[in-house]
Formats: sequence, C-alpha cells, structure tokens
Amino acid sequence: MNEVNHSENILEVKDLHVDISMHEGTLTPVRGVSFEIKKGETLGLVGESGSGKSLTCKAILGINEKKCKSRGEIIFQSGEMGGKIDLLSLNPTGKEIRSIRGKEISMIFQEPMVAFSPMYTIGNQINEATLLHITKDKKKAKEISLEMMKKVGIANAEKRYNQYPHEFSGGMLQRALIAMALVCNPDLLIADEPTTALDVTIQAQILELMKEMQKEFNMAILFITHDLGVVAKMCDRVAVMYLGKVVESADSQTIYANPQHPYTRGLIGSVHKIGAQKKEDRLFSIEGTVPLAMNLPEACGFYDRCDARIEGLCDKADPELIEIEPGHKIACFNCPHEACKKQRAEAEARIKAREAGEGGNA
Amino acid sequence: MKKENILEVKHVHKRFSSKGLTVKAVTDVSFDVKQGETIGIVGESGCGKTTLGRCIVRAYEASEGEIDYRTESGEELDFLKIDKKKMKEIRKEIQMIFQDPYSSLDPRMTVLDIIKEPLKANYPKMSKDEMDQIAKDMAAKVGLNPTYLIRYPHAFSGGQRQRIGIARTLVLNPRIIVCDEAVSALDVSIQAQVINLLVDLQKEMKLTYLFISHDLSVVEHISDKVGVMYLGKMVEYGETEQIFAHPKHPYTEALMSAVPVADPNYAMERIPLQGEIPNPANPPSGCYFHTRCRYCQQKCKDCAPEYREVEPGHYVACHFADELKLRGFDYSAMESKS
Repeated sequence: MNEVNHSENILEVKDLHVDISMHEGTLTPVRGVSFEIKKGETLGLVGESGSGKSLTCKAILGINEKKCKSRGEIIFQSGEMGGKIDLLSLNPTGKEIRSIRGKEISMIFQEPMVAFSPMYTIGNQINEATLLHITKDKKKAKEISLEMMKKVGIANAEKRYNQYPHEFSGGMLQRALIAMALVCNPDLLIADEPTTALDVTIQAQILELMKEMQKEFNMAILFITHDLGVVAKMCDRVAVMYLGKVVESADSQTIYANPQHPYTRGLIGSVHKIGAQKKEDRLFSIEGTVPLAMNLPEACGFYDRCDARIEGLCDKADPELIEIEPGHKIACFNCPHEACKKQRAEAEARIKAREAGEGGNA
Repeated sequence: MKKENILEVKHVHKRFSSKGLTVKAVTDVSFDVKQGETIGIVGESGCGKTTLGRCIVRAYEASEGEIDYRTESGEELDFLKIDKKKMKEIRKEIQMIFQDPYSSLDPRMTVLDIIKEPLKANYPKMSKDEMDQIAKDMAAKVGLNPTYLIRYPHAFSGGQRQRIGIARTLVLNPRIIVCDEAVSALDVSIQAQVINLLVDLQKEMKLTYLFISHDLSVVEHISDKVGVMYLGKMVEYGETEQIFAHPKHPYTEALMSAVPVADPNYAMERIPLQGEIPNPANPPSGCYFHTRCRYCQQKCKDCAPEYREVEPGHYVACHFADELKLRGFDYSAMESKS
C-alpha cells in the first residue's frame, strides 16, 4: 500500500443526499453518505449496482443530470480557490467549478469507448483539457499531451496522437483516458469502475499503471468498483455502500479480516476465493435484491436481506454510522461493540416512547 | 466415441471471411466431455471462446472438424453431418444460456410466454394447459414466484432475468447446456445465487455444462475441467486443480497471476504480459503466443507447437511444457487462511 504522508483531508463528503423527482414520487438513491479522503490515499467505494456509488461521485463533480438534486456538503481542499470550499454551493455551470473540474479533480469512466467522442482524434481530446487549464499555446499543449501519452505507456505516441478512438483497443483506450484525466496533474482522481470492461490481463496492467501514476503525482484516488479483488489490490481504505448509505468503513486490512456489518460479511463471503472452496460447497449468497430507493420506511435498508436482523428494532429504526474502533465505522444495531450497544439501547427507548405515545393517542 | 463421453469435439475450425479477409476464430480445437461434467472455457476477449460455444450448439456452422454427440438413446451422431430436421430434434438436448439478461429476453413477451416459447417450437401438439404447467413448475424450480409470470421482463432485476433465461433453457429437458458468460453481467452477491442454482440443477437433472467465462475464480469454483484458449487455439486443457495449481503453458501462468484475489495479504507477483492479443486475421508465425511469451525461443517463432498430452488428461500446446517450471495458485497458502 502507498504511504500516506499527509493526514490532511482533501475531500470530505458530509451527509450527501441525491434526490431524483419522478412522476411516481421522489427517488433518493443516495441517502446521507459521509466519508473523507486524505491526500495521496486511495479510498475504495464498494457496493452492488443500485447502491448509489456512481451518483455519489458524479455529485462531487456536479455532473449529475439536471433532474438529480444534491443536498449536503462536499468540502474540497482547493489550491485554485485557496482553501476549503463547498462544491455543492457552487453553480454547476459556473466558472469556479469549471476551474476545478478536470484540473484539480478529474475522472476516469467505465467504458472508454463511450467516454471518447468518435468524431475527434485522441490527441485532440487530450488537448482539450490542456488548452483549457494549462496553456493557450497549441504547440505547447501538443507537447504536454504527447509526454502524458508516453507516460501512460502508449507506444508510438506521435502516430497514436492523430488516430481516432476506433483505432484503439479497449486497454489502449483506457490508457488514453487516464492520460486525459492526468494531463492537468489533479489532486483527486475519481475512477468509476475503470477496469470492469477489460480482460484480467489488461486489468492488471491498468491497475499497476494507476498505482504508478498515483506515486508520481501524489494524488488521491476515489476508486469505485464492485470487484472486491480489485479493492484488495488497490485501496488503503474501503467504504461499503448499501442502498445509498455507507454501512461500514475501515482500512482494507480490517474490512477483509474483520468485517462487522452483515452486508460486508455477505459481500466478502459471496466472492469465490480460488482454492478455498470445493464445488460441493455452496457459495454464500445474500438472498433477495437491493430494494428501490423510493418511499423507504424508517428502518435499516438492509433489513429484508439481513441474517442478523433484530425484529422490532431494525425494522423500526435506522442505525447511524458510528466509530467502533479508531478508523473503523459501522452502521448496525446487532454488533457486540460498546458504541453499538449504546446506540441500540437509545433506539429501543425511542421506539418504546413512540409506541407508547401512539398507544396513548389511540 | 468413447463410452463415457457425451460429446467429443475433434479438430474443429471456424473461419469467417469477408472482403477477401479470413479470420480464423477457432483453430483446431479438440476435447472430450463426459456426462455430468462441467467444462470451463477461459481466455481473453477475442480468443474464440464464444465462437466455439456457438459452433457446439450449431448456431454457427463449423468450417471443419467433427462434433460427435451421444444422444439420450445412445445413438452416436456427428453434428456437422446431420440434416436440419434431425438437428432440430437433437437441439432440444443441447441448449444455451446467454450472457446479457437484458438483451436476451423479448421485452414484448410476458415471462410465461418466454418460458413457453421453446415448448411451442418443439412440441406444436402440446396443449396450452400442459405447457403452462411445465413453465410454471420450471419457474418455481429456478426460484421465480409463479404469480409474477404474467409480468414483462422489464419488471425483473438482472438476477431474476437470468433465472428466466435459465428456466427457458431447461423446459426442454436438455442434457448439455452451453453457458456463455452466464453470470458475468451480475453483481457478486447475485452471481453467487445463480451459481448455486446452476450447481443444484446440475445435480438434480444430471446436466453437463460447458461454462464459458473470463472470470477465472467462478470457473475454478464450478468446473471439473478447464480449457484455456488463446487466439482461437486451445493452449491447455486438464483437471481444474491441475490447471490452476500446476499450469504447463506460459499463457495460463500469466493469466492466473493477473486474477485479483479478494485478500489484501495475498501478494502474488504478477507475470507481466506485454501488449495485447494480436489480430486474429493476421496471427503471428509459429506459436501464436510467442509475441507475448517471456520464455520465447527461436523454435517458438519458427514452428507451431503440437497440442499433446503431457500427463494423463492434461493437454498442452507448448514446445517446452516439460522443461518449464511454471507457477500456479498456491492452494496451501489459501487453505491455511480460510
């Protein structure tokens, strides 16, 4: 793992909500996400599809669709703006956010084929960021772009510079996308499933490249994935998301060795480890699927699928994310740790009081 | 044909031609399948694993070779020689599950109709009630609630859609199922559900699977034997544990070392595989893998290695299979931890 010298947070997400209003009602795919990333570290954001990972990271850059409304706070340590600013308070099409987007925070997407425009050459598209943020001189911009293409391992960069995306293979295109993201030397890189569309051998190459680049540029990475094998390889810390909330976060050693939340346990258990099980053994699976994030009752989102649920408690109150050990946070009532017991007792008292009140009214 | 085999694939080739350009998608692939086994086929995209699967169900016409099949009544047939009518009869016994549960179901048909469709095509005289009954039983077997069958596919999640695809495949009572990346599009927790279902059904219905996937850990879990393909050729074939723990082909070794393991302490040195898979329309000389092989010698550039049996049941196509000491997964290290 990378050594983290700076303990300063580069990004703090606090109680982030994303609402999408539809004619059936309001969908809230992100329901109070909080996490922080320190300078130079890699945070993995893990969860099933529909858990709100992608919306969270798009909210950071303010590039969600117009119908998505974000609430909460996203504090970013910006060099450009000289200090801490709340990204959500900025106008999503304004000058300030545009000076951060692509320069201080940039992003790599899942499908490199979709992320590039088929109508422009690769060089042209990498230049776009350079011309916007670094220099107005086209010759200089080309030099910078070519240098970056060489750095990410694109052989024959001069020739490749003038080629179109369809002339690239998937792995090469992902390298070009990384070059485009890194050309302005960002402090934070958001990588949304950057290797999901690639073969294992190419995936390994790309992951190694990202690690190298991280060392060279000393940037923080927010790594979004559903592949726990990739997380184990890449991340210093992991935040597990379920139904729009972070349910557990800890350093990656702890998450794998000592997962506390039933969902994390299920997720890790359902990954087949080579050599660990025989065919006759059944894989551990979490029954059911992620519910739709609309009109959710006040209950733990994982209640229906949980094997450690407490009836009468977990379906009536939603546990908050609390710290049980330094750096290890979980949101669950059914945990033997002191802090969780305290939260559980409080919730039980609250439910009792509420039911007594309702009974009295009736 | 050997007695215990249900399927024997012999020297199968598949070539696609267009505008004078010929792509050899599958070149000289041979292997045997015993009844009730699961054969995993792995390789990078573009290596021909899907084409091979499609040749076996005869969705593609193989250009050359033999695919011998023993029918339920014990008859031995060569797929590539029998006529269409006979093929239709046999196809009931060999079915396929597709990768993408979103595009493989017709959005304008109810789930019940989707599951019934193979019955309609194959048993035109069967009564509607009987078909409904078979479809409902099958839906229950794969874990779908029969009351939901009047709904359309869009109302179902990815995992449930894959169950619909499996039910559709199973109503004809097949003996061999070609699963083409059947769980690749699903989340890990749902993947585990579907894999468990496939294993249960195999036991219950004595199915034989041909499991095509690029996910090596899933293949390791479900397969009895594994075939590794590279650029249209089978480069290694053998028992799963043999392949994973003691690979004999440098490509297999590199592939194994690239698999991410869900354990931060498991550090295996990755064997770098330089570059990308070459263009199959213009494959390299000699051994197809020599451009990316770290053990490459002059002999590899000059002549193609023979696909031979180095140990009983373990086939390799490499000149130096006997000399090279290759690394596989360290099973003992994994077991001590779990």
